[in-house]
Amino acid sequence: MKRIIATVVSILLCGIILAGCWSRKELTDLAFIIAVGLDKTKDGKYMMIYQVVNPGNVAGATQRGGGSGGVPVSIYKATGNNLVEASRKTSQKVSRIPYYAHTNLVVIGEEVAREGLDGLFDAMERNSQFRATSMVVIARHHSAEDVLKILTPIDKISANQIIKTLQFSEKMWGETINIHVGDIIRDLSSQGKAPVISGVGIEGNVRKGKRQLSIQASEPDARLYVDGLAMFKDGKLVGWINGEASRGVLWVLDKIKQTNITTGWKGKKEAISYKVDRSQTSVAAHIKNGKPSVSVHIQTEGDIGEVLVPLDLNDPKQLLMLKTAIEQAIKREVLDAVERAKEKRTDIFGFGQTVYRSYPHEWRKIAKNWNESYFPYLEVNVKVESFIRRTGLRNKPYIFQQQGGKLEWKK
Amino acid sequence: MLFQWGLQKKKQEIQGKEGKDQSGQAQDIPEEPIHSQLEMNIDIVRHTTGDSPDIVIRRFDVGHERTIRAAMIFVDGLVDEKNVCQFLLEPLMTATFPISLLPADLFIWMEKKLAAVGGIRQISQWSELFTELMSGRTIILLDGIPLALCASTKGGQYRQIEEPQTQIAIRGSRDGFTESLRINTSLIRRRIQNPNLWMETMKIGKVTQTDVAIMYIKGIANEEIVQEVKQRLNRINIDSILESGYIEQLIEDQTYTTFPTVYHTERPDTVAANLLEGRVAIFMEGTPFVLVVPAVFIQFFQAVEDYYSRFDISTALRFLRVLIFFISLIAPALYIAATTFHQEMIPTPLVIAIAAQREAVPFPAFVEALVMEVTFEILREAGVRLPRAVGHAVSIVGALVIGQSAVEAGFVSSAMVIVVSITAVASFATPAVAIAISARLIRFLLMVLAAMFGFYGIIMGILVMTIHLCSLRSFGVPYMSPLAPSIPANMGDTLFRVPTWAFKDRPHLISQKNIERQGNNQKPQPPGSNSSNDSNRGETS
Repeated sequence: MKRIIATVVSILLCGIILAGCWSRKELTDLAFIIAVGLDKTKDGKYMMIYQVVNPGNVAGATQRGGGSGGVPVSIYKATGNNLVEASRKTSQKVSRIPYYAHTNLVVIGEEVAREGLDGLFDAMERNSQFRATSMVVIARHHSAEDVLKILTPIDKISANQIIKTLQFSEKMWGETINIHVGDIIRDLSSQGKAPVISGVGIEGNVRKGKRQLSIQASEPDARLYVDGLAMFKDGKLVGWINGEASRGVLWVLDKIKQTNITTGWKGKKEAISYKVDRSQTSVAAHIKNGKPSVSVHIQTEGDIGEVLVPLDLNDPKQLLMLKTAIEQAIKREVLDAVERAKEKRTDIFGFGQTVYRSYPHEWRKIAKNWNESYFPYLEVNVKVESFIRRTGLRNKPYIFQQQGGKLEWKK
Repeated sequence: MLFQWGLQKKKQEIQGKEGKDQSGQAQDIPEEPIHSQLEMNIDIVRHTTGDSPDIVIRRFDVGHERTIRAAMIFVDGLVDEKNVCQFLLEPLMTATFPISLLPADLFIWMEKKLAAVGGIRQISQWSELFTELMSGRTIILLDGIPLALCASTKGGQYRQIEEPQTQIAIRGSRDGFTESLRINTSLIRRRIQNPNLWMETMKIGKVTQTDVAIMYIKGIANEEIVQEVKQRLNRINIDSILESGYIEQLIEDQTYTTFPTVYHTERPDTVAANLLEGRVAIFMEGTPFVLVVPAVFIQFFQAVEDYYSRFDISTALRFLRVLIFFISLIAPALYIAATTFHQEMIPTPLVIAIAAQREAVPFPAFVEALVMEVTFEILREAGVRLPRAVGHAVSIVGALVIGQSAVEAGFVSSAMVIVVSITAVASFATPAVAIAISARLIRFLLMVLAAMFGFYGIIMGILVMTIHLCSLRSFGVPYMSPLAPSIPANMGDTLFRVPTWAFKDRPHLISQKNIERQGNNQKPQPPGSNSSNDSNRGETS
């Protein structure tokens, strides 16, 4: 009996010990791919660009003498007919196992985007390492390769630079959108909503910006910046929205957290700026006589940031007028954005989904022709309610005191 | 015949001096009565004790004419010599004896009238005589009488009552147990001044004849547990017990476990509190560590201060201690598992920072962790045994050489040093050393599991550990109670410590009959609400 038990236990033990360490991988055996870029080669193949972290050169490690003071990232490229093929091919060049769990950024070349995103994300979604929360950007006017090769001064890893810029820019300014792989897959697979993706551009000399010398200057030779929203239709890039109009998209998508609205006053342009601290947007759909319409209701709250005209902020009437001016400015941005989207016949706002939620039965009839027959002629009613919470530390601008009384602004 | 026996014994001793202790057992003293001839008796004592110089044999004469020879025998150092001289020897030597006293009457006269000590009695057997002699009593023999007087004169030098070295409390009594059984029991008597505090003594150890006492509160302690303790103690058949650890290992329910199923403490207030919960305390001569049974798992996380300070901070500290236990258990295992299996679980900046540190480290994470943990155990073991002055040197060498130089040389990563340090500090922060030691052993097991299977292995290890914990019993009481089996009434003293007025019940499984600890209306009330207070009292009574 004892012998039987001993035999069984030792066999089980073998199972444990021999099967152990199956998926073990040491940190020093991993190539942390922090960003992936996608371009097309001339012969129509995909080219994948990997930005791999070189841990020894990341700030902090250099103190211990581990780093040689080199650049913190290294770029690897591979071509293939599809992404997985390209990914496996990189093992010819990288000395470590490509590790995608920390890939936080996907840069898609504009050229690839124009040809269509459709198949691209399948490999990313299917891979157990790849995160659905990786951020996606479009390399604007440049290839993804160039974007990933530019070295950046503050956040040494340029992928982090782009991610953080996008995050904070969305939060503070609201002209770009921070969108993840998962969001895009959802948008692509659903009717009545087309994806928008922010663009990343390069200003300066691209060739010099890839050298470490560039970031040793107080002004690097090349800088990355986020700019514009790429509109997609049926998975293909169809156009860009820039500037204030792109903020209009974010107003509708309820992504605005803080921003700044500048409005004119009594003939003077850009006279007063309004800092938005809080904002909420609700979108509702209605169908009347088979004709859908959408109403967008935006509520904002904020402070007065700057006043360049003599204006008495103690006066409720003036404030009321100011409020109306701000509301008009926001409304203009939104309508502008809607106009651009209508031009390209792509519903980047998800109005179609709103209709679907409110009128699922009617939606079934109009879904097929939504982008072509309904969305471009959709009636969009925008209602903005702005609230001025504070006027800052000063009531009357000093300009008012300089010119006070002399100007006949007061009737 | 007895004399012959004594002589034979002497011969044996002379013949086989080298082989004397081969058996490991002392020769048993036969159950023989004491002889009536004084000289023969003294010879037997001298032969039996091997003429040891600390056995003092004082001859003197008694009787009206000082014609009857007598002798007083005691062990130097075990008796209070002042007592012996002042209250035994002096009255006997200076007394005026009535004229016509037979030796037998004289013997009784001495016992009743002359010996001025508390405990005195007659004994007739040699075995008894030697037991009493060796435990510090004084023996008086009288020529012509086959009896001996045994006077209680225990004394001698003991360590004074000092602050306990282990289990130090910021708030709480400052006295700790000493090596004296009598002092220790008196410390408890002073705290529980109640006739129901019962004590029973026995001698354990065939050679050492060590005094062991069990103490419990009649009416609170569960009779079955008391019987079980007595039975287990009586079962012990061993030549010697030198510390309560001997007893602990001989009476515990389960030997093959790293978890302690007997609680030991140096603090009288802890013992008193445990007695009041219905537990049984086992005292032993020669050690300041008192055993308390039955012990449950959560007891090792309870510090005396939990009950002395207010409940909010006590509860917070309880949580902290359980957290500390888990840190000391799994911190290195988590590090190994996260860095070799689950790199995706570490935030990106952190994983890059750790990877950067590990760039130059030549070993896999498991080897690195094992080396550092073993190094730390070496340092600790060296530090514990060393004299305090040298101990500082060791800690400096440990901190500088291992901590700093190893990192600078690139043998280990600084993240690993941080993990090992937090583990080490955590293992010192557990209030009971016994449970910290079990965590220490299991830690290595979990590290191996983590190196082989990652988090899966850690979870499996902890699962097995939990199952094992639930299977343990301490004197019949489930080790994980009152958590498993769940006893809601006693949950107030586990992870939480409810306010003192809410401590209604004693542990149900330990004091099974008498569980009510306090009245229903103990919550302090502001003076204005007296009326409601009274009405409540009326309801409950």
